[in-house]
Amino acid sequence: MKKVGKPVFFVLALLIVAFTVTSFTGIKTRYGDTINTFIKGADDIRWGIDIRGGVDVTFSPPAGYAATESEMSAAESIIKVRMISQNITDYEIYTDMANNRIIVRFPWKADEAAFNPEQAIKELGETALLTFREGLEADDFGFPTGVTADVVILEGRDIKSASRVDVPRTQGGMADMPAVSLELTPEGAVKFSEATGRLVGQVISIWMDDALLSAPVVNTQITDGNAIIQGNFTGEEAKDLADKINAGALPFKLHTENYNTISPTLGEGAREAMVLAGLLAFIFIVVFMICTYRLLGFIAAIALAGQAGLMIAAITGYFAPFPSFTLTLPGIAGIILSIGMGVDANVISSERIKEEIRSGKTIDGALDIGYKRAFTAIFDGNITVIIIAIILMGAFGPPGSAFSRLLYPVFFMFPAVPAGTIYSFGYTLLVGVIANFIMGVLATQFMAKSIAKQKTFRKAWFFGGEKA
Amino acid sequence: MTVKFDFIKNSKKFYTISIVMIAVIILCSFIIPPQLDIQFRGGSMITYSYTGDIGMNSFAETADSLLNERVTVREVTDIATQTKTFIVSLPGTESLTSDQMASFTQGLQAAFPSNNLQSLQINNVDPAIGREFFLKTMVAVAVASILLILYIAARFSKIGGMSAGVLAVLALLFAATIAYGAFVILRIPVDNNFIAVILTILGYSINDTIVIYDRIRENKRLMGGKTPFAELVNASLNQSFRRSINTSLTSIMAMIIVSIVAYFYNVTSIQSFAIPMIFGLVAGTFSSLCITGPLWVRWQEHKLRQKAA
Repeated sequence: MKKVGKPVFFVLALLIVAFTVTSFTGIKTRYGDTINTFIKGADDIRWGIDIRGGVDVTFSPPAGYAATESEMSAAESIIKVRMISQNITDYEIYTDMANNRIIVRFPWKADEAAFNPEQAIKELGETALLTFREGLEADDFGFPTGVTADVVILEGRDIKSASRVDVPRTQGGMADMPAVSLELTPEGAVKFSEATGRLVGQVISIWMDDALLSAPVVNTQITDGNAIIQGNFTGEEAKDLADKINAGALPFKLHTENYNTISPTLGEGAREAMVLAGLLAFIFIVVFMICTYRLLGFIAAIALAGQAGLMIAAITGYFAPFPSFTLTLPGIAGIILSIGMGVDANVISSERIKEEIRSGKTIDGALDIGYKRAFTAIFDGNITVIIIAIILMGAFGPPGSAFSRLLYPVFFMFPAVPAGTIYSFGYTLLVGVIANFIMGVLATQFMAKSIAKQKTFRKAWFFGGEKA
Repeated sequence: MTVKFDFIKNSKKFYTISIVMIAVIILCSFIIPPQLDIQFRGGSMITYSYTGDIGMNSFAETADSLLNERVTVREVTDIATQTKTFIVSLPGTESLTSDQMASFTQGLQAAFPSNNLQSLQINNVDPAIGREFFLKTMVAVAVASILLILYIAARFSKIGGMSAGVLAVLALLFAATIAYGAFVILRIPVDNNFIAVILTILGYSINDTIVIYDRIRENKRLMGGKTPFAELVNASLNQSFRRSINTSLTSIMAMIIVSIVAYFYNVTSIQSFAIPMIFGLVAGTFSSLCITGPLWVRWQEHKLRQKAA
C-alpha cells in the first residue's frame, strides 16, 4: 500500500464516475424497435409492489382443513393459470407447504387504469372450474365457442386424481416418456366412456376456467375410467398438467383474509419522494464533506458516488445476464441510510489525517497512519451491520432464498411472512456495507495517496492542515 | 483541534438525563401502550380516493350501513398531489373476506357514482397471521441482539475487557430504547419498520463506541499507565468528539431530509422508518460520548479501590 502512482487517482476517479453514470443510465443500443441491453440502468429496476402498485395476498385452505402437499401444489397451479390468463407474467408465488399457505404478489396491470384489486383477489381464490370439452373451437380471444363451449364432457368433480407417470416407448431402446395418468370417479368413467367412444380420432380439450390446458386426441374408447394423456411432455410439463387437473378436483376454495393492495398512483408518488430525498441527502453530504475536509472531502464524494453506483448495480444486475433485485420503499431508504453511514469511513479517516497533520506529521505519514488507524473501527462497525442485514433478509425473505434457508433453524416454527418490503431493506443495507468497503475504504485510500503525489496538491491545507 | 469539555465532571447530568428519558419512555409505554400496526394485530383499513365533494358524514353512514357496523373514517388530503382520500378502518381486529371487500367497494361506488371512488390502498390482515408475523419479528430482534452482544463482547474483551463489553451493550440498549420511545411518544404504530429501525440502530451505534474505546486504548499507551482514568478518558472523548458528531451528522441529516420529504408527500410507511431512526441515531451518539466513557471510568476506579483495599 506504500507506493501508489501519480496517475492512479485519475484512472480510479474516471473509472468510478463512468461506472456510476452507466449504473444509472445503462447502455443500450436500438435498431428500430428492438432494444439491446448491455448494461442495465435505473430504468430496468424491478420495483416492489409498494411502488408500482399491486397486490399481496396470502391464501390458505379454509380453517380446520388439513390440506395435503399435492392439494397445495394443485392450488398453486390454479393461481398460476389464472395469472397467465390475466396476462400477468411477473407475479411471485411462494407456497409454504408446512404451514398450508400460498403467498402471491403481483403488480398492477400496467395498461389498466380501472384495475379492480378486490375483484382480482376474489377471482384468484375461487374454485377452479375444470372442464373436458368436445373438440377445440375457440374464438380470437382463446375462449371456447361452438361445440367446445356447448358440450362439456367432464367437470372437476368427475376426476379422482391425476398424476405424472412414465410410459415406456413402443420403439425399443429409448427412455420412458412422461405422461399424465387420469383416474375418474365411477360417474366420470361412464360419461368419459360414452364420449371417447363417440370421438375416436377427434380432440377432447381440457380447460381451466377459460384457459386451454391441453388438447389431446382420443386414440381409443376408455371404459374403465383410467386414461393416459400423452404428448411431447417433459417431466416438468407432465407434472404441471397433472397439478392443474387436480386443481379442478380440489375439494376446497382458497380462503383469504389477508391481502394488501396499493395503487400505482400512490406508489409512484412515494418513489418520487424518495428519489428526491436521496438526491437532497447526497448533495448535503457532498457539500458537507467538501467544506469540512477539503480535498479529502472531494475524494469522499467520488467514493460515495461510486458506492451509490455499486448499490444500484447490485439492484439492477448491471450486466444484462445477471438477475435484478426487487427494490421497495424501505429498500430506497436503505440506500440513503447506507450513504449516510458509509461516509463515516471517510469522516473517521479524514478527521484522523487532519489531526496528524496538525500535530506536525508529513502528508504521506498522516495518510498512512490515518487510514491504518481508521480501518479497525470501520471494520467492526461494518461487521455488525452485516449481521443485522443477514438477519433481516433471513427473517423477511421469501422461503427458499439463501438467507432464509441459512436461518431456518432460528425461524423454523414461523411461516413465511406476508410482507416483503423489509427484505429489500436488508439487501440494500448489506450491499451498502460491501460497497462501502470497496469504495469508502479501498478506493478512497488509493485516490488520496495518489493525489498527494501531485505537486499542486502537496499542501497540508488540502488535507485539513492550517493554511500555510 | 480538540473541544475542551469535561465529560467526566458533567457525567452526573448525563446520567440523570438518560435515566429520566428511559423512565419516561417506560412509564409512557405502560400508560399509553404503543399501538400495533394492522400488520401485526390484524384488522382492515381501506383508503379510497375520490373527486368532487363527499360529506364525511354521509360517506361514513353509507359505509356503516354497507357493513352493518360502525367504521372509523378519516379524511386525508395529500399535500403534494392534492388527492382527497377517506381512510376507512373497521372496529377492532375485524377483517373482511375478499368477497365482502369486493361488494363493499362496489356498494360505495354505487352510492357515490359521480365521485370516481377508487380504492388506493387496502390493508386487510388476518389477526392470526398478524400475530405470527409479530412473534417472528420479535424472535429476529432477540436473535440479532444475542449475536451482536456476542460479537461485541468478543471484540471488546481485547480492547477493554469485560467492563468495556458490558458498557458498550448498555449504550446500545439505551439507543434502541430511545428509538422505541419515538414509537411510543409520537404514537407511531409499530409495524415492520420497527424491526428494521431497532436492528439498524443496534448494528450502527456500536461504531461510535468502538472508535472511542480504540482511542482510549491508544491514549493509554501514549500517556503512560500512570495517567488517571478520568483524564485519559476525557482526553480521548474530546479528541473523538468532532469525528463522532460528524459521522452521526451525515446519517442523521440524511434521515431528516427523508422525513421531511416523506411528510410532504404523505409517505407514511417511510415516516415511521425515518423519524424513529433519527431518535436512535442521536441517542447512539449521545450514549457513546456521554455515558459509556464516564461509566467506564467509574468502573475502573472502583476496581482500583477494591484492589487497594
